[in-house]
Amino acid sequence: MKNVTVMSGMRASMPIMASYIALGIACGIVLYDAGVSVLAIFLMSALVYAGAAQFLTGSMVALGAAVPSVILMVFFLNLRHILMSASISRYVKNKSLGFLGLFGHTLSDESFGINYSRFQTEHWTANEAMVTSLLNYSAWTLSTVLGGIIGSQFTINTLIMNYALIAMFICMMVMQFVSKAHIIAGIVSVVLSVVLTAVLKHNIALVIATVLASFIGYYLENNAVEGGVKANE
Amino acid sequence: MSSESLVLILGMAIVTFIPRFFPLLLLSKKEISPSFSRWMSFIPVSIFAALVASDIFFWESSFSLHPFRNIKVIPSILVFVVAYKTKSLLWSMIAGVLAMALLYIFL
Repeated sequence: MKNVTVMSGMRASMPIMASYIALGIACGIVLYDAGVSVLAIFLMSALVYAGAAQFLTGSMVALGAAVPSVILMVFFLNLRHILMSASISRYVKNKSLGFLGLFGHTLSDESFGINYSRFQTEHWTANEAMVTSLLNYSAWTLSTVLGGIIGSQFTINTLIMNYALIAMFICMMVMQFVSKAHIIAGIVSVVLSVVLTAVLKHNIALVIATVLASFIGYYLENNAVEGGVKANE
Repeated sequence: MSSESLVLILGMAIVTFIPRFFPLLLLSKKEISPSFSRWMSFIPVSIFAALVASDIFFWESSFSLHPFRNIKVIPSILVFVVAYKTKSLLWSMIAGVLAMALLYIFL
Protein backbone atom coordinates (compact mmCIF):
# COMPACT_ATOMS: atom_id res chain seq x y z
CA MET A 1 0.00 0.00 0.00
CA LYS A 2 1.35 3.43 -0.96
CA ASN A 3 2.32 6.04 1.62
CA VAL A 4 -0.08 8.54 0.06
CA THR A 5 -2.96 6.13 0.62
CA VAL A 6 -2.02 5.65 4.26
CA MET A 7 -1.68 9.42 4.82
CA SER A 8 -5.04 10.36 3.32
CA GLY A 9 -6.78 7.51 5.13
CA MET A 10 -5.20 8.75 8.35
CA ARG A 11 -6.33 12.35 7.78
CA ALA A 12 -9.92 11.16 7.26
CA SER A 13 -9.92 9.12 10.46
CA MET A 14 -8.44 11.79 12.80
CA PRO A 15 -11.72 13.35 14.07
CA ILE A 16 -13.32 9.93 14.48
CA MET A 17 -10.32 8.53 16.34
CA ALA A 18 -10.50 11.47 18.77
CA SER A 19 -14.12 10.76 19.66
CA TYR A 20 -13.52 6.98 19.75
CA ILE A 21 -10.77 7.46 22.32
CA ALA A 22 -13.11 9.40 24.64
CA LEU A 23 -16.05 7.03 24.13
CA GLY A 24 -13.80 3.96 24.28
CA ILE A 25 -12.33 4.91 27.66
CA ALA A 26 -15.86 5.48 29.03
CA CYS A 27 -17.00 2.13 27.60
CA GLY A 28 -14.02 0.28 29.09
CA ILE A 29 -14.77 1.74 32.52
CA VAL A 30 -18.44 0.69 32.30
CA LEU A 31 -17.55 -2.85 31.14
CA TYR A 32 -14.92 -3.34 33.85
CA ASP A 33 -17.38 -2.17 36.49
CA ALA A 34 -19.96 -4.67 35.17
CA GLY A 35 -17.44 -7.43 35.91
CA VAL A 36 -15.86 -7.88 32.46
CA SER A 37 -12.09 -8.45 32.76
CA VAL A 38 -9.53 -6.36 30.83
CA LEU A 39 -8.69 -9.40 28.64
CA ALA A 40 -12.40 -9.94 27.89
CA ILE A 41 -12.78 -6.21 27.09
CA PHE A 42 -9.92 -6.53 24.59
CA LEU A 43 -11.46 -9.63 22.97
CA MET A 44 -14.90 -8.01 22.85
CA SER A 45 -13.59 -4.86 21.15
CA ALA A 46 -11.42 -6.83 18.71
CA LEU A 47 -14.03 -9.47 17.79
CA VAL A 48 -17.31 -7.54 18.12
CA TYR A 49 -16.26 -3.89 17.59
CA ALA A 50 -19.60 -2.20 18.18
CA GLY A 51 -19.57 0.74 20.60
CA ALA A 52 -23.27 1.07 21.35
CA ALA A 53 -23.63 -2.71 21.69
CA GLN A 54 -20.65 -2.93 24.05
CA PHE A 55 -22.00 -0.14 26.28
CA LEU A 56 -25.38 -1.88 26.30
CA THR A 57 -23.72 -5.18 27.20
CA GLY A 58 -22.07 -3.44 30.15
CA SER A 59 -25.35 -2.18 31.54
CA MET A 60 -27.22 -5.46 30.86
CA VAL A 61 -24.50 -7.62 32.41
CA ALA A 62 -24.43 -5.31 35.45
CA LEU A 63 -28.18 -5.90 35.86
CA GLY A 64 -27.63 -9.67 35.67
CA ALA A 65 -29.19 -10.24 32.22
CA ALA A 66 -28.87 -13.74 30.71
CA VAL A 67 -26.39 -14.31 27.84
CA PRO A 68 -29.04 -15.13 25.16
CA SER A 69 -31.03 -11.95 25.86
CA VAL A 70 -27.87 -9.80 25.63
CA ILE A 71 -27.00 -11.44 22.27
CA LEU A 72 -30.56 -10.88 20.99
CA MET A 73 -30.42 -7.17 21.89
CA VAL A 74 -27.00 -6.83 20.26
CA PHE A 75 -28.40 -8.50 17.13
CA PHE A 76 -31.28 -6.02 16.86
CA LEU A 77 -29.02 -3.10 17.70
CA ASN A 78 -26.57 -3.99 14.94
CA LEU A 79 -29.13 -4.93 12.27
CA ARG A 80 -28.91 -1.32 11.12
CA HIS A 81 -25.54 -2.14 9.56
CA ILE A 82 -27.30 -4.17 6.82
CA LEU A 83 -28.26 -0.90 5.16
CA MET A 84 -24.78 0.59 5.46
CA SER A 85 -23.08 -2.56 4.22
CA ALA A 86 -25.51 -2.76 1.29
CA SER A 87 -25.05 0.84 0.25
CA ILE A 88 -21.24 0.86 0.45
CA SER A 89 -20.90 -2.51 -1.36
CA ARG A 90 -20.81 -0.92 -4.82
CA TYR A 91 -17.54 0.86 -3.96
CA VAL A 92 -15.61 -2.28 -3.01
CA LYS A 93 -16.46 -4.48 -6.00
CA ASN A 94 -13.76 -6.87 -7.28
CA LYS A 95 -12.04 -6.96 -3.89
CA SER A 96 -10.85 -10.23 -2.36
CA LEU A 97 -12.89 -12.15 0.20
CA GLY A 98 -10.33 -11.27 2.88
CA PHE A 99 -10.63 -7.56 2.08
CA LEU A 100 -14.44 -7.71 2.24
CA GLY A 101 -14.30 -9.69 5.49
CA LEU A 102 -12.06 -7.15 7.20
CA PHE A 103 -13.91 -4.17 5.70
CA GLY A 104 -17.25 -5.63 6.88
CA HIS A 105 -15.91 -6.43 10.33
CA THR A 106 -14.66 -2.84 10.81
CA LEU A 107 -17.80 -1.16 9.38
CA SER A 108 -18.95 1.06 12.25
CA ASP A 109 -21.51 3.89 11.94
CA GLU A 110 -18.72 6.46 11.84
CA SER A 111 -16.42 4.56 9.44
CA PHE A 112 -19.39 4.09 7.13
CA GLY A 113 -20.33 7.77 7.42
CA ILE A 114 -16.90 9.17 6.57
CA ASN A 115 -16.08 6.64 3.83
CA TYR A 116 -19.47 6.79 2.16
CA SER A 117 -19.45 10.58 1.95
CA ARG A 118 -15.88 10.53 0.53
CA PHE A 119 -16.77 7.85 -2.04
CA GLN A 120 -19.63 10.04 -3.21
CA THR A 121 -17.88 13.40 -3.31
CA GLU A 122 -14.24 12.84 -4.22
CA HIS A 123 -11.78 10.35 -5.62
CA TRP A 124 -11.69 7.90 -2.73
CA THR A 125 -10.24 4.41 -3.15
CA ALA A 126 -11.22 1.21 -1.38
CA ASN A 127 -7.70 1.07 0.09
CA GLU A 128 -8.00 4.55 1.59
CA ALA A 129 -11.38 3.53 3.05
CA MET A 130 -9.76 0.44 4.53
CA VAL A 131 -6.97 2.48 6.18
CA THR A 132 -9.58 4.81 7.73
CA SER A 133 -11.66 1.88 9.01
CA LEU A 134 -8.65 0.06 10.45
CA LEU A 135 -7.38 3.16 12.27
CA ASN A 136 -10.81 3.78 13.80
CA TYR A 137 -10.95 0.12 14.81
CA SER A 138 -7.51 0.25 16.45
CA ALA A 139 -8.34 3.49 18.31
CA TRP A 140 -11.53 1.93 19.68
CA THR A 141 -9.93 -1.34 20.73
CA LEU A 142 -6.95 0.27 22.47
CA SER A 143 -9.01 2.92 24.27
CA THR A 144 -11.54 0.40 25.65
CA VAL A 145 -8.60 -1.59 27.05
CA LEU A 146 -7.23 1.64 28.54
CA GLY A 147 -10.69 2.33 30.03
CA GLY A 148 -10.68 -1.17 31.56
CA ILE A 149 -7.27 -0.54 33.13
CA ILE A 150 -8.42 2.87 34.47
CA GLY A 151 -11.56 1.19 35.83
CA SER A 152 -9.45 -1.42 37.61
CA GLN A 153 -7.36 1.28 39.36
CA PHE A 154 -9.97 3.88 40.34
CA THR A 155 -13.52 3.83 41.62
CA ILE A 156 -15.70 5.74 39.19
CA ASN A 157 -19.39 6.48 39.63
CA THR A 158 -21.02 4.20 37.05
CA LEU A 159 -24.48 5.78 37.33
CA ILE A 160 -22.85 8.79 35.70
CA MET A 161 -20.60 6.83 33.27
CA ASN A 162 -23.53 4.67 32.18
CA TYR A 163 -25.36 7.83 31.26
CA ALA A 164 -22.80 8.24 28.44
CA LEU A 165 -24.62 5.33 26.75
CA ILE A 166 -28.02 7.00 27.03
CA ALA A 167 -26.60 10.27 25.69
CA MET A 168 -25.13 8.32 22.77
CA PHE A 169 -28.48 6.62 22.05
CA ILE A 170 -30.38 9.94 22.25
CA CYS A 171 -27.96 11.42 19.71
CA MET A 172 -28.18 8.38 17.41
CA MET A 173 -32.00 8.55 17.64
CA VAL A 174 -32.06 12.27 16.77
CA MET A 175 -29.82 11.61 13.74
CA GLN A 176 -32.48 9.15 12.49
CA PHE A 177 -35.23 11.79 12.42
CA VAL A 178 -35.13 11.97 8.62
CA SER A 179 -38.89 12.09 7.93
CA LYS A 180 -42.21 12.55 9.77
CA ALA A 181 -42.81 8.81 9.59
CA HIS A 182 -39.45 8.17 11.30
CA ILE A 183 -40.28 10.64 14.10
CA ILE A 184 -43.68 8.99 14.60
CA ALA A 185 -42.03 5.54 14.70
CA GLY A 186 -39.72 6.89 17.42
CA ILE A 187 -42.62 8.25 19.48
CA VAL A 188 -44.59 4.99 19.10
CA SER A 189 -41.52 3.05 20.20
CA VAL A 190 -41.11 5.29 23.30
CA VAL A 191 -44.74 4.67 24.37
CA LEU A 192 -44.68 0.93 23.60
CA SER A 193 -41.36 0.33 25.35
CA VAL A 194 -42.44 2.17 28.51
CA VAL A 195 -45.80 0.35 28.69
CA LEU A 196 -44.35 -3.07 27.82
CA THR A 197 -41.40 -2.66 30.19
CA ALA A 198 -43.79 -1.76 33.04
CA VAL A 199 -46.04 -4.74 32.25
CA LEU A 200 -43.57 -7.47 31.25
CA LYS A 201 -40.59 -6.39 33.44
CA HIS A 202 -38.25 -8.05 30.92
CA ASN A 203 -36.05 -6.59 28.18
CA ILE A 204 -37.90 -8.59 25.50
CA ALA A 205 -40.25 -5.57 25.76
CA LEU A 206 -37.67 -3.55 23.81
CA VAL A 207 -37.53 -6.08 20.98
CA ILE A 208 -41.34 -6.15 20.68
CA ALA A 209 -41.55 -2.34 20.79
CA THR A 210 -38.84 -2.03 18.10
CA VAL A 211 -40.45 -4.48 15.69
CA LEU A 212 -43.98 -3.05 16.12
CA ALA A 213 -42.85 0.58 15.84
CA SER A 214 -40.78 -0.12 12.71
CA PHE A 215 -43.81 -1.75 11.00
CA ILE A 216 -46.04 1.18 12.01
CA GLY A 217 -43.51 3.66 10.57
CA TYR A 218 -43.24 1.63 7.36
CA TYR A 219 -47.06 1.41 7.06
CA LEU A 220 -47.45 5.17 7.61
CA GLU A 221 -44.81 5.98 5.00
CA ASN A 222 -46.39 3.64 2.43
CA ASN A 223 -49.83 5.17 3.00
CA ALA A 224 -48.43 8.69 2.85
CA VAL A 225 -46.82 7.85 -0.53
CA GLU A 226 -50.10 6.42 -1.89
CA GLY A 227 -52.10 9.33 -0.44
CA GLY A 228 -49.68 11.76 -2.08
CA VAL A 229 -50.11 10.06 -5.47
CA LYS A 230 -53.91 10.16 -5.14
CA ALA A 231 -53.83 13.83 -4.18
CA ASN A 232 -51.81 14.58 -7.30
CA GLU A 233 -54.18 12.77 -9.64
CA MET B 1 -11.83 -15.56 31.64
CA SER B 2 -15.02 -17.55 32.33
CA SER B 3 -16.54 -19.71 29.58
CA GLU B 4 -19.75 -17.69 29.98
CA SER B 5 -18.05 -14.46 28.91
CA LEU B 6 -16.35 -16.27 26.02
CA VAL B 7 -19.76 -17.54 24.81
CA LEU B 8 -21.18 -14.02 25.21
CA ILE B 9 -18.36 -12.43 23.19
CA LEU B 10 -18.47 -15.04 20.40
CA GLY B 11 -22.28 -14.78 20.19
CA MET B 12 -22.08 -10.99 19.98
CA ALA B 13 -19.31 -11.27 17.36
CA ILE B 14 -21.39 -13.57 15.12
CA VAL B 15 -24.64 -11.55 15.25
CA THR B 16 -22.66 -8.35 14.58
CA PHE B 17 -20.57 -9.73 11.70
CA ILE B 18 -23.51 -11.17 9.72
CA PRO B 19 -25.35 -7.88 8.95
CA ARG B 20 -22.06 -6.07 8.29
CA PHE B 21 -20.45 -8.62 5.98
CA PHE B 22 -23.09 -10.48 3.96
CA PRO B 23 -24.68 -7.47 2.21
CA LEU B 24 -21.13 -6.42 1.25
CA LEU B 25 -20.45 -9.86 -0.21
CA LEU B 26 -23.81 -10.52 -1.90
CA LEU B 27 -25.05 -7.12 -3.01
CA SER B 28 -22.17 -6.12 -5.23
CA LYS B 29 -24.22 -7.78 -7.99
CA LYS B 30 -27.85 -7.76 -6.77
CA GLU B 31 -29.90 -4.85 -5.39
CA ILE B 32 -31.68 -5.04 -2.03
CA SER B 33 -35.53 -5.08 -2.31
CA PRO B 34 -36.82 -1.49 -1.94
CA SER B 35 -39.67 -2.36 0.45
CA PHE B 36 -37.36 -4.42 2.69
CA SER B 37 -34.87 -1.58 2.79
CA ARG B 38 -37.66 0.95 3.55
CA TRP B 39 -38.83 -1.17 6.49
CA MET B 40 -35.21 -1.59 7.66
CA SER B 41 -34.78 2.19 7.70
CA PHE B 42 -37.26 2.31 10.63
CA ILE B 43 -35.28 -0.17 12.79
CA PRO B 44 -32.60 2.24 14.09
CA VAL B 45 -34.96 5.03 15.19
CA SER B 46 -37.28 2.48 16.84
CA ILE B 47 -34.57 0.64 18.73
CA PHE B 48 -32.81 3.80 19.94
CA ALA B 49 -36.15 5.27 21.09
CA ALA B 50 -37.02 2.03 22.93
CA LEU B 51 -33.60 1.83 24.61
CA VAL B 52 -33.68 5.48 25.68
CA ALA B 53 -37.29 5.45 26.94
CA SER B 54 -36.99 2.21 28.90
CA ASP B 55 -34.01 3.72 30.70
CA ILE B 56 -34.71 7.42 31.29
CA PHE B 57 -38.39 7.12 32.31
CA PHE B 58 -37.67 4.59 35.04
CA TRP B 59 -36.00 5.26 38.37
CA GLU B 60 -35.31 2.37 40.76
CA SER B 61 -37.49 0.10 38.56
CA SER B 62 -40.63 2.24 38.62
CA PHE B 63 -41.98 4.75 36.12
CA SER B 64 -41.11 8.32 37.14
CA LEU B 65 -41.07 11.70 35.40
CA HIS B 66 -40.30 13.66 38.59
CA PRO B 67 -37.27 15.78 37.57
CA PHE B 68 -35.69 15.76 41.06
CA ARG B 69 -36.40 12.16 42.02
CA ASN B 70 -35.48 10.73 38.61
CA ILE B 71 -32.29 12.69 37.91
CA LYS B 72 -32.03 11.36 34.33
CA VAL B 73 -34.96 13.53 33.14
CA ILE B 74 -33.20 16.93 32.97
CA PRO B 75 -29.90 15.69 31.42
CA SER B 76 -31.94 13.81 28.79
CA ILE B 77 -33.77 16.97 27.71
CA LEU B 78 -30.42 18.78 27.52
CA VAL B 79 -28.81 15.97 25.48
CA PHE B 80 -31.77 15.96 23.10
CA VAL B 81 -31.25 19.68 22.41
CA VAL B 82 -27.45 19.34 22.08
CA ALA B 83 -27.82 16.31 19.77
CA TYR B 84 -30.33 18.17 17.61
CA LYS B 85 -28.09 21.24 17.30
CA THR B 86 -24.66 19.57 16.92
CA LYS B 87 -25.40 16.03 15.58
CA SER B 88 -22.24 15.07 17.46
CA LEU B 89 -21.95 11.94 19.61
CA LEU B 90 -19.05 13.39 21.54
CA TRP B 91 -20.76 16.68 22.47
CA SER B 92 -23.98 14.86 23.38
CA MET B 93 -22.04 12.54 25.64
CA ILE B 94 -20.06 15.33 27.31
CA ALA B 95 -23.23 17.41 27.91
CA GLY B 96 -25.12 14.43 29.33
CA VAL B 97 -22.38 13.16 31.62
CA LEU B 98 -21.62 16.66 32.96
CA ALA B 99 -25.32 17.36 33.64
CA MET B 100 -25.67 14.00 35.41
CA ALA B 101 -22.56 14.64 37.50
CA LEU B 102 -23.78 18.13 38.56
CA LEU B 103 -27.26 16.89 39.50
CA TYR B 104 -25.76 13.94 41.37
CA ILE B 105 -23.50 16.23 43.41
CA PHE B 106 -26.12 18.89 44.20
CA LEU B 107 -29.23 16.78 44.81
